[in-house]
Amino acid sequence: MNYTRQLIRFSLFVALSGAGLTGCADFLDTPPQGQIGEAAVRSDPAAAQSLVTGVYNSLWEENMHGLSYVGLTNIASDDADKGSSPADGANSFGTFDNLNPTPSVGNINDLWSAYFRSIARANQALTLIPLSAADQATRNQLESEVRFLRAYFYFNLVRFFGGVPLIGTVPPVDEINNTALQTRASREAVYALITSDLRFAANNLPIKAQTQTGKVSKAAAMGMLAKVYLYQKNWQQAYNLTDSISRNLVGTYDLLPNYANIWREVGANSSESIFEVQTGINLSCDAAINLYSVSQGPRAGGKRGWSDLGFGLGTPSESLLKEYEPNDLRRNATIIFINPAPLGTVLWDGFRVPSRDSVENDRYNYKSYHSRTAERNCGNNDRLPKNLRILRLGEVLLIHTEAALALGRNADALTDINRLRTRAGLPAQTTIDREKIWHERRVELGMEHDRFFDLVRQEDVQPGRAVQAFAAHGKTFVKGKNEVFPIPQNQIQLSGGALTQNPGY
Amino acid sequence: MKKIRYLFLLTWLSAFGLAQAQNQRVTGRVVSQNDKQGLPGTSVVVKGTTVGTSTDAEGNYSIEAGTGAVLQFSMIGMKPQEVPVGNQSTVNVELADDAQALEEVVVVGYGTQRKRDLTGAVAQLKGEEIIKYPVQTPTQALQSKMAGVQIIASGRPNEQPQIRVRGVGSALAGVSPLYVVDGVLTDDIRNISNNDILSIEVLKDASAAIYGVRAANGVVIVTTRRGKSGATQVQYDANFSLRQPANLVKMASREQYVSYLADAAPNQNISNPPLTSDQTTNWYDFALRNAPQSNHNLSISGGSERNTFFFSAGYFTDFGVVNTNDFRRLTIRANNEVKINDKLTFSNQLSFSRGNEQAVNLDGTYQSLYRAAPIVPAKVGDKYGNLSAFGNVGNPILTLDARNQQIINNRLQGNLALNYKPVEWLTLRSAFNTDLVFNRDRTYLRAFQNDVNTFVTAGGNQRQQNSQLSLTDGKSFRYIIDNTATVDKTFGENDFTFLLGAVTEKFTSDFISGARINIPNDINQWYLGLGDPNQQLSNNSSGDLQTRQSFVTRATYGLKNKYLFNASLRADGSSKFRERWGYFPTAGIGWVISDESFMKTQSLFNFLKFRSSWGILGNDNIGSNAYILTAAVNIPYFYNNGLTLGSAIQDIKDQQLKWERTQQVDVGLDFALLDNRLTGEIDYYNKTTRDALAFRVIPAIFGDPDNQFLTNIASFRNRGFEFVLNWKESMKAGFGYSIGANLTLNNNQIVGLNGGQALLAGGVGQQGFVTRSDNGQPVGSFFVLNATGVYQNQAEIDASPVFGNRADRRPGDLRYQDVNGDNVINADDRIYAGSYQPKLYYGINLGLNFKGFDLAADIYGNAGNKIYNGKKAFRFENTDNIESAYADARWTTSRPSQTDPRLITAATPASTYFVESGSFVRLNNLTLGYTIPTALREKVKLRAARIYITSQNLFTIKQFSGFSPELPGGALDSGIELNSYPTTRTFAVGLNVGF
Repeated sequence: MNYTRQLIRFSLFVALSGAGLTGCADFLDTPPQGQIGEAAVRSDPAAAQSLVTGVYNSLWEENMHGLSYVGLTNIASDDADKGSSPADGANSFGTFDNLNPTPSVGNINDLWSAYFRSIARANQALTLIPLSAADQATRNQLESEVRFLRAYFYFNLVRFFGGVPLIGTVPPVDEINNTALQTRASREAVYALITSDLRFAANNLPIKAQTQTGKVSKAAAMGMLAKVYLYQKNWQQAYNLTDSISRNLVGTYDLLPNYANIWREVGANSSESIFEVQTGINLSCDAAINLYSVSQGPRAGGKRGWSDLGFGLGTPSESLLKEYEPNDLRRNATIIFINPAPLGTVLWDGFRVPSRDSVENDRYNYKSYHSRTAERNCGNNDRLPKNLRILRLGEVLLIHTEAALALGRNADALTDINRLRTRAGLPAQTTIDREKIWHERRVELGMEHDRFFDLVRQEDVQPGRAVQAFAAHGKTFVKGKNEVFPIPQNQIQLSGGALTQNPGY
Repeated sequence: MKKIRYLFLLTWLSAFGLAQAQNQRVTGRVVSQNDKQGLPGTSVVVKGTTVGTSTDAEGNYSIEAGTGAVLQFSMIGMKPQEVPVGNQSTVNVELADDAQALEEVVVVGYGTQRKRDLTGAVAQLKGEEIIKYPVQTPTQALQSKMAGVQIIASGRPNEQPQIRVRGVGSALAGVSPLYVVDGVLTDDIRNISNNDILSIEVLKDASAAIYGVRAANGVVIVTTRRGKSGATQVQYDANFSLRQPANLVKMASREQYVSYLADAAPNQNISNPPLTSDQTTNWYDFALRNAPQSNHNLSISGGSERNTFFFSAGYFTDFGVVNTNDFRRLTIRANNEVKINDKLTFSNQLSFSRGNEQAVNLDGTYQSLYRAAPIVPAKVGDKYGNLSAFGNVGNPILTLDARNQQIINNRLQGNLALNYKPVEWLTLRSAFNTDLVFNRDRTYLRAFQNDVNTFVTAGGNQRQQNSQLSLTDGKSFRYIIDNTATVDKTFGENDFTFLLGAVTEKFTSDFISGARINIPNDINQWYLGLGDPNQQLSNNSSGDLQTRQSFVTRATYGLKNKYLFNASLRADGSSKFRERWGYFPTAGIGWVISDESFMKTQSLFNFLKFRSSWGILGNDNIGSNAYILTAAVNIPYFYNNGLTLGSAIQDIKDQQLKWERTQQVDVGLDFALLDNRLTGEIDYYNKTTRDALAFRVIPAIFGDPDNQFLTNIASFRNRGFEFVLNWKESMKAGFGYSIGANLTLNNNQIVGLNGGQALLAGGVGQQGFVTRSDNGQPVGSFFVLNATGVYQNQAEIDASPVFGNRADRRPGDLRYQDVNGDNVINADDRIYAGSYQPKLYYGINLGLNFKGFDLAADIYGNAGNKIYNGKKAFRFENTDNIESAYADARWTTSRPSQTDPRLITAATPASTYFVESGSFVRLNNLTLGYTIPTALREKVKLRAARIYITSQNLFTIKQFSGFSPELPGGALDSGIELNSYPTTRTFAVGLNVGF
């Protein structure tokens, strides 16, 4: 019958139109356009190296090494005052300076987030490196570099905040409500991870000459590990590690003859450098730490009338000024002094900063100054390519000397101290004690972001030490509180209370 | 009684008269009951015989009929009538409209339905209505015409007006409806000539679920015209208009400004010729113009029994009221239908359009016009006034002159379809719909320096160091294949239709862009190759790809034409989400109460229908692959001082991310009363959107770059009422009038963010974000300090909490409410101060015709919405200009004001001082037309001829002090006047000629 035929045609039609098109089941599978998916990166043979480079890149983050970092290191210490105009950053940097930050200060949350973001990048890279097609040696080197960086991130975190959540792998998204992840590990547990990461790195990394400039070397891992041991008062380990470096057993290092050059472009990756953040010039002109140099640059004030060099934050303090012995070459290499009218201040590159009546503050950090004329840059003031020196031979010698003293090797201690003093144009010490070493440490590393952490460490070695130093600086260091900063309030809220606040905040 | 008498008569006649029945000639005239006009073509038949005729052009007829005969009069759209002849020789008849508009057919997606049978809320506007307005897009013509459909148009040339159907149902996914043009699913209908449109339907309720995952914001269906069998018709429509800027804000005069500067910037040197002048510069005069607009449309249509054709060509020009902002559009369309045999029909609807726009960058220019100091000359000779040297904005006239942006848009859209009707009750249709878009945007920035070659005086910071050319070529390609089978069958009193179909869609798009500097300054040499090859600024390219596979089915069932049932289900598979398939059901019922026997005894209602619908609709207006983790690539670092590029995998993505889901319930009544003169609709709707996108903040330890991720957690609600009433009456002597009114009440609320973040948006310069979308508030609510007046003296300041530094406060500053009572005025004291969403909007449409004249007026208005006067609030420099009204109202020691502060500066926080009422009423359109009488037309062999004059936006009554209360924007940041396009008033003359 005709109807039957029509019905057959009809069913055929529907079957064709429907099933025919869905027959290709992957019609709905569309790879992301214009973007590279996770899978694509993972399948790339160069992916492991690429992801490791991504971890290095996080060293440029503003909240890791830029504005917030300057606030929680230099400004918080007795080396520097808040600086800038009185109102500028009063509720943030002002509270760091006065050692009374509240858990809701945004910079603290920003810094916390930046470090954990970087740790996440490191963990992503660590997950992938074992799957890489590269040979075992390369894989070990990549893993070591990343574990060094992760250890460095945690080392800063543990010094800023004490025990923090230990994220050692990439947590899956559905773990967002897992409070166990957000619980703070003990300080010891964090240090255990740092130590194991650095040990692995020290064992597997090539020496400086056998790797590319800027990559983590064996000496960098050993130096960083020595510093970690110093914080744990493990003098023997700190001594052994720094001893190898100072005796050039893990690469050739030497003090740069001119102290002032250490932080200038000519001193970048110098013989003294053990680990520093690399920067440079790229087409988009953003290959540097965001707001590092500019945040500390001289700021116009008073009559103004000139294109200033920065925000003027973190100005060298009276306390730091007093620490220098007469004729210490390091004083003028560390501090830009703003002269009264009519004198200006001519910087090393010939740039003339106007006199005090057109400038906001009396002093500025010279080490963070990046010349717009004599040093390379591409015009982006926010990201001037200043290499941040994270570890240099000068500090390794100071660790060595302190450990040597603790172990009763006074002669060793004297040798190291006097190498630094000679370079600074000062007479050699003939006797040595802890006070002298700590004095030397402060002026040698002045404005290099170490002082706050170190005072807290010294307090641990010699109770009352930090209280005293801050009192001399006109600030009150509350024991049991000011050793660390508050845990960011909104992170505590997001954790549903799993994250606990530090005492006193 | 009369009927019974006829019945008796008829019985008597048949009993006694039949035998002696003898034929006589009966003549008469058939007229419409409504307008008493003759009804040509009415069929007149002697009942029970094959004897018949039809009326002539004037409605007259003449027929042979026996004295006992009964004449049957019938015509499509009219109620048939039977009249016994008796011994009359003249039988005049008035035919009544058959339920009038309710018999109309409505396009509902993959099919049509009689309006009478609808169970959903569908609004319709016919093409002949749309062409009455001198506007580019049909969307603008919809304004004031439909309840539940809000149109927001700024009047900028080639702007796509925004449509909000029944409120704003999302915050982060799209809120615009889906457009379906002859089967092509799109989001842009600026390529369609208004003259080509047969009708526009808006599916407002859950019946839109036939479009599934894209239907939550409503569906606008555009159907283009087709030819009709018969004589070839040529139609020419044209209008010419002049647009002028309307409602300009009067800025301060030189005197007012100088007096303000004395307080705002006392150190500013106000008399420094030639930098300053002693005249008042009205900057708007230099940037705005009265601009012509014109529209020409020619169509040829017709056909035979086996094929029909419709061809049209249109040319539309719209010169914006901002200098240099010109737009031209060419449209060509060919819609044909060919019957291959009795069962198989091929058809096509194809259109090409080319838009050519000279664009202006309003963000910079229009804001600068407002802020520009009136004491600086705009131009002296061929040199520009140097505003930036005065410490003000860049000269906006120079910005306009030095920038040349041309956007060309070529678009090919249409479908090819085969219809196969193997049997009467079955239709198989297969259509290939496609949409190809080719865009080119070229922007040229002319080089000029801040020296005396360009400016009256050297200095300042306005300069373009190098000339620069940027080109972007974009193209997109979409195809949609529809295969449907429709069964339409009637068994006795059961009407049954069933639709089954499959839809396949693929969309690809990509762009390539490049830019170079130092291009020769020549408008005709716009090639990148002429730029400096050693300083290539940039090149880029990216794209998108989406696919969808869908199945649709719909069943409708009508019992006795009274009880109506409708149900549909669409299954949508979308490539955008990991969970690919979504199911979108809808069901509706209708009950034609007026057909019930108990209603037969009443005469008030000619028609009364209750209807109700329910359904689930989706919104997948979300970026492709938003659930897929993508890597950040090209992250630089240096080894051995050499640049190396790395990558990072760090975003946290919701792998289960999916479409938003809206459940909508609609209950409505359709009615016609008083001999169908009064018709109307009442609707109640409740739309609840669940799984709406919101950002959820996550702990930093997960390492996400912004510590948040997009997920489906929020819910919104829109509910409201719609009322439509139309009164239409025709009277004797060719006089008729109509009054239509519609009203929409909508209530929008964020029901719950459920852990998602409140969304801040609407940045106004230094004031930061001024809107906040949070639980219990309408989307995009203004969230600002509550300004309660002005400090009159120092004692008042000392006695109250102040904003900012106490030492900076002066008498004349705004006072704010300390909402949380902590004795400090800060961000914690902000309050919700209303939103851009109107509580109600309405349209009133009046029509009047007398003889050949027709007069029509459309009024549109809304109420209950707020506007943030962003341009007044946005201060960058103390030298920024102020409004004349503010200059007169602001607080001074000699003229203390209770409401207006002495200064508005960059430090003035966002507050209710800047929040104004957005209510307005506008005479949207006023048209007077004259149709040339038939007699005259026939002499010159014209089928139709009408001339008219019309005006768009003749006047607007508004409380808002700014340019326009109609401010398009996103879901979160509409209603902020920062740099909006000036509204225009249009005067036009036009003609429609057909032969």
